[in-house]
Amino acid sequence: MTGDGGRVELRLTVDGQERVAAVDPRSLLLDALREDFGATAPKAGCRTGDCGACTVRVEGAIAKSCLRLAVAEDGSDVRTIASMADGDRLTPLQQAFWDLNAFQCGFCLSGMLLAGEDLLDRIPSPTDAQIREAISGNLCRCTGYDSIVAAIRSCARPAAPS
Amino acid sequence: MTALAPGRLTGTPVRRHDGDTFVTGRAGYTADVPRPGAAHAALVRSPHAHARIGAIDTAAARAMPGVLAVVTGDDLVAHCTEIPHGLDAGHLGGHHAAVRPLATGTVRYAGEPVAAVVATTPADAAAAAARVEISWERLPVVLDAGSALLPGSPLLYPEWGDNVIIEREVGPDDFGAASAGAAHLLDGELRTHRGTAAPMETRSYLADWDPGTERLTVHATTQNPHVLRTLLATTLRMPEEQVRVIAPKLGGSFGLKMYGNREDFIVPLLARLLGRPVRWVEERAATMLAGTREQVLRYRVAFDADGRLRALDVHAISDHGAAAPTHGWGMAHVGALSTGLGYVLPSCHVRYTVVATNKAPWVGTKPFGKDGATLLLERVMDRIAGVLGLDPATVRRRNFVPPDAFPWLHTSGLELDSGDYATALDLTLRRLDLPAVRAEQEAARGAGRLLGVGLAFELMPESADIPGAMVAAYDTSTVRMSPTGRVTVLTGVTSPGTGNDTSIAQLVADELGVPMASITVVQGDTDLCPYGFGNISSRSIITGGNAAVLAARDVAATLRATARAMLQLQPEDELVLAGGLIAPATDPERAVPVEAVAGAVHTLSYRLALDVEPRLESTRTYRPGNVRQQPDELGRMQTYTTYPYAVHASVLEVDPETGGVSLLRHVVTHDCGTVVNPLFVDGQVTGGVAMGIGAALGEELVFDADGTPLTTAFKTYLLPRAIDLPPVELEHLCTPAPGTPLGAKGVGESGFSGAQAAVVNAVNDALAPRGVALESTPVSPPRILAALLEQP
Repeated sequence: MTGDGGRVELRLTVDGQERVAAVDPRSLLLDALREDFGATAPKAGCRTGDCGACTVRVEGAIAKSCLRLAVAEDGSDVRTIASMADGDRLTPLQQAFWDLNAFQCGFCLSGMLLAGEDLLDRIPSPTDAQIREAISGNLCRCTGYDSIVAAIRSCARPAAPS
Repeated sequence: MTALAPGRLTGTPVRRHDGDTFVTGRAGYTADVPRPGAAHAALVRSPHAHARIGAIDTAAARAMPGVLAVVTGDDLVAHCTEIPHGLDAGHLGGHHAAVRPLATGTVRYAGEPVAAVVATTPADAAAAAARVEISWERLPVVLDAGSALLPGSPLLYPEWGDNVIIEREVGPDDFGAASAGAAHLLDGELRTHRGTAAPMETRSYLADWDPGTERLTVHATTQNPHVLRTLLATTLRMPEEQVRVIAPKLGGSFGLKMYGNREDFIVPLLARLLGRPVRWVEERAATMLAGTREQVLRYRVAFDADGRLRALDVHAISDHGAAAPTHGWGMAHVGALSTGLGYVLPSCHVRYTVVATNKAPWVGTKPFGKDGATLLLERVMDRIAGVLGLDPATVRRRNFVPPDAFPWLHTSGLELDSGDYATALDLTLRRLDLPAVRAEQEAARGAGRLLGVGLAFELMPESADIPGAMVAAYDTSTVRMSPTGRVTVLTGVTSPGTGNDTSIAQLVADELGVPMASITVVQGDTDLCPYGFGNISSRSIITGGNAAVLAARDVAATLRATARAMLQLQPEDELVLAGGLIAPATDPERAVPVEAVAGAVHTLSYRLALDVEPRLESTRTYRPGNVRQQPDELGRMQTYTTYPYAVHASVLEVDPETGGVSLLRHVVTHDCGTVVNPLFVDGQVTGGVAMGIGAALGEELVFDADGTPLTTAFKTYLLPRAIDLPPVELEHLCTPAPGTPLGAKGVGESGFSGAQAAVVNAVNDALAPRGVALESTPVSPPRILAALLEQP
């Protein structure tokens, strides 16, 4: 796997595209995505796993990409919020974030959207307390969170009849 | 002011015009700007809070893989001037400090940049930076303002003879006379703690030197691209037009990304020295160096038997940290100007002392010193209520400047334009249902639970104009219509992430009667936009918005004149611009599409309208009329344009076993005059409230005994998270700013001050049955617990 200048070859499926890049073996998954795969939707907010701005899905599970070494994810399927939408068709959650102004600067959106989507996958009709809990691994400095809670709540689906 | 007509976009919750680029991760921030081949910088920072820099050995660093250059402070001296001060204390009776991009001689805070390493990758740069070897001669440190003022204290700038950056007075010093005969006198001391803005995006720059054109292009996380360009040109000794500053999307700022930061200059200097593009992305620990809000406020207050204020005398001692070229120390001045504002206060005198200590300097932070003034007055109101046995709301109501008293000249020289503070208080109390909350509190107290209610009034002077400084109450916008009817707005104001570009598009859409989709707003590029002051003092809509309205009206006038000729109407015939059409008011059937008129201006000028200058473009500057900078007989000036305000109420419960605070409710009534977009106003107020709650309850920059910062990450500097906050309950009131086209007052700094003060008051209300009062912030669990344990 060793490439030029101590770099190693990393194979990732990024937003549905299978790709290969030569990465510095010291790189975090976040840095490899941003610098070597050109996927800049995840942001570096803290690099300590506290803010969630770097959130992606790895093999379907949401993960903070600053807490993983890139080379440890060789062969993984990685999705960012850039591939949430179906072409130009935003997901209902993306649409709600836009319509309800659930962001201002937008830097936290990778984390907020993916944490919200993950919650709705697990609990289709969450309470506000469950929503707040679900996004509490993510920091937002602009909104005070109310509009984010409202956007996620607006996408709740009635629980399926049992 | 213009009445808001039905069908207009202004005043409606239009969503962000480019929101899809955000929710799909495509919005580009500075660190996202692609630049293949860019080198990466890492900074070597002082590990000591006060030390002389000895020999710097860069050999080991230079030998590291990928290293292109290692640069020290001394290396840069020949290539730049010292950094110009945004607000030079030395020109205002204080001391001037020469600050260079990289330190030379002495470091005065831990984290001060001393050297820079440029390498081909960020990891190589960071690895090499760790190998720069510096021999230090450590000097004694002074870490709090009180100690720094004592005789014999270590001095940061020995040539000054003391550690005072500046000391000034605001308002007449007549407490003795003004308090004579007052029924009550109280004195006290309030201490606030050091906080930081902590936007989600750290600072970042991409500087590109083109040796062919000798042009420097800097992508920067900056609120003020034009001012930064001016300062870069001065510092790097370049003609200003050879510098282009571009501010991409900003990931929050709250004042942190105003100009004058050392990295503003370091990264462009590196690019110029190396002749290649250089990128730098700040690490979070460095973002956490920027300080704000650490003050001791000593006061005396005199009041009558009915609770009416007679006189207030304050000495505000600010722990600034090392001197800096940013205008951070101005927060002490604005705090003094704002003290007592909104209350009828016959005598108010503030002496403020800004003190240098061995901590990273203050950086201007929302709400720019006004928060300390709010906290002081709101503690005073509650103390008066306690002394007189009155309801805290009653004391405030008795002291508010009444709605029929505007314009109201405050003792500091600021002149309030409009407002209805008592109605805002009433709305807050009604939403709260105060009697029910008090009943609940009584029941809780009976059960040994500590429930508290806190009120606070905040009043934010906005749209500042500081004479002699690059802080202006005016700004400039261009509105341009193409032959196909497309509209481009170029404005000197920038968005810190709040979306004022959408609001400006709403305003222009209404003036020209075109849909939002035909409008593009360009901000933050010094090659494209008119010179402007960017994002400061909550003034983007007041200045850039009003200027765009004026410019759009000029364009509309040309469209109307041309349409009249096309439709063979008389000059007195009224034309309506709406729905993309221009129609005679009396004959809507004869409407012509706006693009047909725009095309005619560009192609049929000689045939249609010889008397109309054929230009669908206008650049206008909006400068509010109520700023007065000729000092009056007391040396006072009116340096602010608008005065938004809010009344907050916070309900919370303190756990006596842990000192933990559970916020139950937070109600705010807010008045920012005419609201252009309620989505954005509500969002900013709610965000400000969250930030104020965070400051009140726990966010605190902490240092060890050597001055080493201990709170360098979000694990130790605790921003509020979604589970920490109650939903914010908002009420609105609208008293439009008189004498302005729009009536907007600004909202960017609102929410913080009142939230912080309301929470502090509520904690004190909760603790009252235990006979405990907390007059210092943060009112964090350890402090609350300590206070409860100390009670007799």
